[in-house]
Amino acid sequence: MTALDPAETYRQEAQELLEQLEQALLDLEHAPDDTDLIDSAFRALHTIKGSGAMFGFDAVAAFTHHVETAFDLVRKGKIAPSRELIAVALAAKDRMRLLIEQPDTVDTTPGDAILRDLEAIVAAPEAPIVPEAPSSAQAKPSATTWRVRFSLAKDAMAMGTNPLLLLDELRTLGVATIVARTDGVPPLEVMMPTDCHLAWDVVLTTGQPRSAIEDVFMFVIDDMELSIDPIDTTSDATRIGEILVDRGDVRQEAVDAAISSQVALGTLLVKSGHLTEDKLAAGLAEQQHIRVEASAAKGAAKAAGQGADSIRVPAERLDELMERVGELVIAQSRLTQVAAASGDMDVKSIAEEIERLALALRDTTMGVRTVPIGSLFGRFRRLVHDLAHELGKQIELVTIGEETELDKTVIERLNDPLIHLIRNAIDHGLETPEGREAAGKSPRGRITLSARHAGAEVLVSIVDDGRGLDRNRIQARAEEQGLLAPGVKLSDGELFQVLFQPGFSTAREVTSLSGRGVGMDVVKRTIEGLRGKIDIASTPGSGTEMALRLPLTLAIIDGLLVRVGTGRYVLPLSAVEECVELSVEEDARSRGRSFLNIRDDLVPFLRLRELFQASAPADRYQKVVIVSSGDLRVGLVVDQVIGNHQTVIKSLSKLHSGVETFSGATILGDGAVALILDIAHLVELGMAHESRLKAAG
Amino acid sequence: MSPWNGGRSLEVLTLGLEGEIFALEATYVREILDLTPITEVPNSEPFVNGLINVRGKVVPLADLRLKFGMEQKPPTIDTRIIVIEVAIDGNPAIVGIHADKVYEITQVAASALEETPRIGMRWRPDYIRCIGKRGADFIVVLDVERIFSMASSREEPPSAGYPSPQLSAA
Amino acid sequence: MAKTILSVDDSASVRQMVKLTLSGAGYTVVQAGDGAEGLAKARDTTVDLVVTDLNMPVMNGLNLIRELRKLPSYKGVPIIFLTTESDAAMKQEAKVAGATGWITKPFQQEQLVAVVRKVIGA
Repeated sequence: MTALDPAETYRQEAQELLEQLEQALLDLEHAPDDTDLIDSAFRALHTIKGSGAMFGFDAVAAFTHHVETAFDLVRKGKIAPSRELIAVALAAKDRMRLLIEQPDTVDTTPGDAILRDLEAIVAAPEAPIVPEAPSSAQAKPSATTWRVRFSLAKDAMAMGTNPLLLLDELRTLGVATIVARTDGVPPLEVMMPTDCHLAWDVVLTTGQPRSAIEDVFMFVIDDMELSIDPIDTTSDATRIGEILVDRGDVRQEAVDAAISSQVALGTLLVKSGHLTEDKLAAGLAEQQHIRVEASAAKGAAKAAGQGADSIRVPAERLDELMERVGELVIAQSRLTQVAAASGDMDVKSIAEEIERLALALRDTTMGVRTVPIGSLFGRFRRLVHDLAHELGKQIELVTIGEETELDKTVIERLNDPLIHLIRNAIDHGLETPEGREAAGKSPRGRITLSARHAGAEVLVSIVDDGRGLDRNRIQARAEEQGLLAPGVKLSDGELFQVLFQPGFSTAREVTSLSGRGVGMDVVKRTIEGLRGKIDIASTPGSGTEMALRLPLTLAIIDGLLVRVGTGRYVLPLSAVEECVELSVEEDARSRGRSFLNIRDDLVPFLRLRELFQASAPADRYQKVVIVSSGDLRVGLVVDQVIGNHQTVIKSLSKLHSGVETFSGATILGDGAVALILDIAHLVELGMAHESRLKAAG
Repeated sequence: MSPWNGGRSLEVLTLGLEGEIFALEATYVREILDLTPITEVPNSEPFVNGLINVRGKVVPLADLRLKFGMEQKPPTIDTRIIVIEVAIDGNPAIVGIHADKVYEITQVAASALEETPRIGMRWRPDYIRCIGKRGADFIVVLDVERIFSMASSREEPPSAGYPSPQLSAA
Repeated sequence: MAKTILSVDDSASVRQMVKLTLSGAGYTVVQAGDGAEGLAKARDTTVDLVVTDLNMPVMNGLNLIRELRKLPSYKGVPIIFLTTESDAAMKQEAKVAGATGWITKPFQQEQLVAVVRKVIGA
């Protein structure tokens, strides 16, 4: 569910901005002349303040205002971004976060102290640096000014229509000036309060089309009077007389007559009975609106403002966009099929061009909703730094694969589990400097966060070089707690899964960090909620690795289409190493053996015909597709390798969630459904099969 | 467990499976399709072991004949797929249901509806919402939500060595 | 204080979807399974909005709307009904009966929230 509460939207936006601010400040320390960084910090402050005021976060708005002012001075070159200023700004940023999370904080002492420090710095400027003023004229989207006049049916309000909400909706379309027309209101004695006697004149300047205005009235349009007319704002038609004539409220002659005397035209017209007060007010409002818009347009053209680097878009729109692009890719692959079969050179070359464009569009669109995981990793730098201090440990954080892109919602949901895993690693995994030295390691522990794409998945891992997991202790404890039957033999990987059982704990005491309610069971559930998997590996004395595997749900990947029996299946091309034809001799030789001999390489294999119980007769020459998952390779034996296929991934329904062999489905050019193979799972199966056969001798 | 109707009439879609007449409440029904190519999902539960393409959406196909111990005879020209929308564990899901024949959408008066008998029924009572009488025929109204919630909440196969969740000591 | 919405529909799935969607959007949702139950609940507490299907047993949506409009406490309370797209005649009839607006079936969660916001705000 998307967050629909405005305060929540602000909080999310503010989180991102606070991170942006922190990054900018940290980087500014090393590069105080970088104007982009200064601007980035300023923009973040500006928005946090402005939006905060709008959504009722008054404390943070007021506080941030001062910081923004200070950074405005930096922007203008009046003060330099010294180390002291940056330190205070970082403290201020923490204060802002607090004020957002706890807006009712009463104690202002810490905040006041920060502001005093800020003032001290600002008042004693160091040698100012001169930033280059970036001048980008802000192009205004083409907007039209409309005159919207409407009145509702008398019983509209009794029937539940709220005119105020209609007016609010109009306001969301752009800049609106609203005048209520009371001429139709009867005397109090005869008036029914639930009847609607008011009419409204709205002057609206909006970039939206006319249909957006009509949509506001969609439920009442059949029973109301509504006129929507564009107003020409370019000419100097802002004199009240002209406006009133244009609106049809007075005749030109009356205007002319009134002008010839020198009193304000509008007043005269009212006095002479040609115009009601009401209509004059509305006309003047239109005049004012147009004048304001005209000067704003001129102002914007001159202003050396910052163009927005990004816009916010509702996630549903992006989902729709992805779906359309997916459909386009499917249709394009059909086109390519048909073009290949046709002899027409023109059609073939156009089909190629369209293929090129579709792929480019695919890449761009996928990039819109995805975000590099570096944004998440970046947040952890501070966490690790603070934790290290708190626990008296020395820790180095290494990140690999920061540019690996994931869907934005997935990244957000990974935040908490990753924090928990990092905390665990620091709290339980890494030893103190003394402990490490005693063990012959360098006193500085290392945590490595890495991420990479593998086929239709993303692999994220957290590795620490600490003491590792004590197998025996875990097994003993699990048996004690009844989570494990005594004496059962398990591999490390299987045993460590018990750490995810709710209530399991080997910690002798619960430190203030871990054991705070976000247990390992919640971590596992969150990862599984993303349809991912989490595995633990460890070497006693050397360290522990937590490996997360997450499917790319919104994806169009390069796939390899194969046929097994009568069914067609897709493998992610990135997992495919090569395709080889299986000679009849090798086919025969491999029966009952645990490996295939592929150019003198011994490769474990799986016959997909057997795995999928294909009954149709086998192709004489089977093919082997050699795939890899991590360091492991497996050969998949299929009837036919059909070729490359742009695969639009569709997730499988909950009803099929237990079938681990497949990670999703796709629609082929001819409309049939093909299942996408889960390479990691198949590799596991292949290895297990090989072990069994070997064990059987 | 959704209570049966208790005194209100029902609008239902009647369908045939192996000569028996069943019904689905019309509000679940999104559309009715002719038979379209079905992709088999190897190693899946036989009840939902197919996938179909409904205008670009990959939709699982369920065969209720398996729930009622019926033979799965090959399709005929009357075979249809009823696409329904049902909440599975709170989330709306689209599923296709195989039907040998689709009859009509009809109202069954409240007076003609009876509670499902607990015993003596040919079909498993859990899957059935209530029984309707129409002339000499009985219309068995299916409890769609129950059928699918039970299909999706299969227990996780116990991992090696660990007892399955309900059995472990709390 | 969150606004209250009465959702009247004889389909459990639709009721569930409506409840999940709108409570996620910050409203409190009360449910009824047919027109009569809906009317009874509406009398008990005056809600801020009623969303009702038309085709229901015991008392259908049109009659529910008419009955609601007879109640003085429901003067000015918006009533939205669910309809299939092509049913212009039904829309007309429902408006005459006193409905404020409609949602076309089948609908997405976002559309439901948009219409509710349009008619009673956040």
